[in-house]
Amino acid sequence: MEKTIKQWLSRMKQQLGNKVRSMEQNSAQETVMLVEKTELPDVCYFLWHEKKGRLFTMVGNDERDIHGFFALYYVFSFDSFRHFITVKTLIDPLDPTFPSVAVQLPAANWYEREVKDLLGLRPQGHPDPRPLILHGDWPEDLHPLRKDFPLDRHAPRVQSREAFMPYDSEDVTEIPVGPIHAGIIEPGHFRFGAVGDTILHLDARLFFTHRGLEKASEGMPLEKALFLAERTCGVCALSHSTAFAQAVERLGEVTIPPRAAYLRTLFLELERLYNHIGDVGNVCAGFGFAVGVSQGARLKETLQQLNERVAGHRYLRGVVRLGGVRIDITEREKEEIAQTLAYVKKEFQELVDLLFSHDIAMNRMATTGVLSLEHANQLEVVGVAARASGRSVDIRRDQPYAAYDQVSFHVPVYEVGDVLSRVRIRVDEVLESIAIIEQLLHSLPSGDTFTPLPPLPPYRSAMGWCESPRGETVHWLMVGPDQTIYRYRIRSATYSNWPAVPLAVKGNIVPDFPLINKSFELCYACCDR
Amino acid sequence: MVLQAVIIILLAPFIQGVIKKTKARMQNRIGPSIWQPYYDVIKFMKKDAVLSHHSSWLSIVTPYIVFVSIVTAGIFIPTYSLHNEWNFIGDVILVVYLFGVARFFTALTALDAGGSFGGMGSSREMALSAIAEPALLLALFSVCLSSETMKLPHLVVSLTHNGWDWFAPSYVLAFFAMLIVVIAETGRIPVDNPDTHLELTMVHEGMLLEYSGRYLGLMMWAAQIKQLLLLSLFINLFFPWGIEGEHIFVSFLLYVAKLLALGMLLAFIETMYAKIRLFKVPKLLGSSMILSLMAILLRVFE
Repeated sequence: MEKTIKQWLSRMKQQLGNKVRSMEQNSAQETVMLVEKTELPDVCYFLWHEKKGRLFTMVGNDERDIHGFFALYYVFSFDSFRHFITVKTLIDPLDPTFPSVAVQLPAANWYEREVKDLLGLRPQGHPDPRPLILHGDWPEDLHPLRKDFPLDRHAPRVQSREAFMPYDSEDVTEIPVGPIHAGIIEPGHFRFGAVGDTILHLDARLFFTHRGLEKASEGMPLEKALFLAERTCGVCALSHSTAFAQAVERLGEVTIPPRAAYLRTLFLELERLYNHIGDVGNVCAGFGFAVGVSQGARLKETLQQLNERVAGHRYLRGVVRLGGVRIDITEREKEEIAQTLAYVKKEFQELVDLLFSHDIAMNRMATTGVLSLEHANQLEVVGVAARASGRSVDIRRDQPYAAYDQVSFHVPVYEVGDVLSRVRIRVDEVLESIAIIEQLLHSLPSGDTFTPLPPLPPYRSAMGWCESPRGETVHWLMVGPDQTIYRYRIRSATYSNWPAVPLAVKGNIVPDFPLINKSFELCYACCDR
Repeated sequence: MVLQAVIIILLAPFIQGVIKKTKARMQNRIGPSIWQPYYDVIKFMKKDAVLSHHSSWLSIVTPYIVFVSIVTAGIFIPTYSLHNEWNFIGDVILVVYLFGVARFFTALTALDAGGSFGGMGSSREMALSAIAEPALLLALFSVCLSSETMKLPHLVVSLTHNGWDWFAPSYVLAFFAMLIVVIAETGRIPVDNPDTHLELTMVHEGMLLEYSGRYLGLMMWAAQIKQLLLLSLFINLFFPWGIEGEHIFVSFLLYVAKLLALGMLLAFIETMYAKIRLFKVPKLLGSSMILSLMAILLRVFE
């Protein structure tokens, strides 16, 4: 394997020729290619299109006080080699522009707009120049992620530059919805262009509660930043803290003890369980199937109470520590988990049988909100939404972490890409998760639950990743010289999947939108970092 | 007559409360108290109304028009007694059109403030009512044919005297046709979902979003009264036993018992079913129309 990766990399270097200035190993799993910014689109397109790399994350960084330049990192994942290639380019502060990659690689769309908003690096030729993270009333020349922007600076509000799709025809009705909604949900503004009740186009305006977590983390000690990472999102708290801890551990090149790895896997699967079961129930609210809603809520509650008894927190906060886990479980708790899961499995099976034998429910879910495989691939959709559209990605299998290489599990894939497929994926994954937990409980090794961390090398980057209930989540981390965070970039599954929602609702009717949206089950907080 | 109007007004929230409670129990929830709709109405009446700057006089007038037209319709519908001195004025068609007036103003005012959900709600309501109204009329006609009168009390009298043949196909067909119409007109699953918070899926509730305070209270109360009236109509067309009882008190109790039973049936249907796709609702109402037509044909050829 080691040899084939070397051969593959040197062949790639040959093919790219002098487009690559240098190529070096950042870690065992990551190779960094330094390119001129003019070559950036070509190299990225080559890696994505020819070599079939997935755009994993993209990070912009203000490194002017290290070497005088801004830096951009486009990370591609090559699942078959279990290897990452990072395309790095340096940008002169006097000319803060770069040729847009998003022209050829649609998945880069949001990343480049984010870099433009937060760092003031302008992607030239970008198909969508509207602001993304900071809304239109934020001054255009203020870029909060630059190091010279003080954390406590107050930004004046200016005339809004927000723009939505204009419609020429009188037959098109514009329906603005939100950002405040009737239910208790996070803010998002949706603007439908509809002909009658059929949706022609959807503009989704998100990022209403941008918290500046990444900015706030800069200069923060790592132990404290773990708590910040955990608070990125309520329902994927553990996935975020695990991803962050893994980034730190990878940077320090420590391996966590086997017991800690098993426990992390166990709790991550418990997180997936309560999310997936709750989501299957919530989808029922999309068509007013009250029995499904209340049964889903009840089972979710059972699992969250289990979380509280075992880990001390309903949303599994505080489980992970840097270098291992903080919570160990006893034999009695193992027994309790096994018992609760047996009960939940039986009850969930009943709910699923009821749902899948309900004619109206099936009719509402089937053929609604289809996301095509082509769109899913172009936008690098991840998680449940990807697997429901026939795109087989699961970072637990593709780049195993924690103890996922110690258990056997099956990754369900459906081809259709409608609401029903996404629900089926969740149902299958619930059963897989229960099976994984059974294996873990059966072979839980004994030993320590954490390893102390060595001092971390400054100005080197590392990534941690995790398959959250919504899909893969990537945390990119660079530590400064005083063991505090220099740059921290959270790319959640939601961030990758939101751009796919408008494509899936196109051609459906307006009253089906809540159902489609629920089937993706994306959280807003994961984007509003 | 006045007594009947008062009873209708006061009884309506109770039936709503019972339906909600039944639904909650069936869904494994405890649910609010059956008196909750009364508390809600009282709360709304005490509150100030907030009106949109864009709204016109319609927004103020509509709640009263709707409330009054629904209560007026209630005067012509037999409930627990047949002694009604206003018989000579109105018949089935008047009742349907009083409902129509209420619907018209509700839909018109939903457009008044210019909110997107109001517009969506009223366009859907009007599209559906274009089919729901004839379906209601046809279902009523299929019953009226048997007694050759359109006056409801006369109709009920002849029904109690001559009686329905429980096993007559026309009876069964008319029963199901009417049941579908009642569900659609009360805005219940599978046609509309009265409990949803998803504005984009709303039909009737969407039109009420702009109201607040006493105006909202009146609109909700009117909707509850309309529900009670439709249930009464259904009961007295298909289960009129006891309405001519010697003791008015006994027949009243019997009436309430029948209402509760029917309300629970609706709650049961609402729990068992899910909301169908919006564009399938016309098909459902169309099937009600066909059932009515078949009932009429059978009746004619019998």
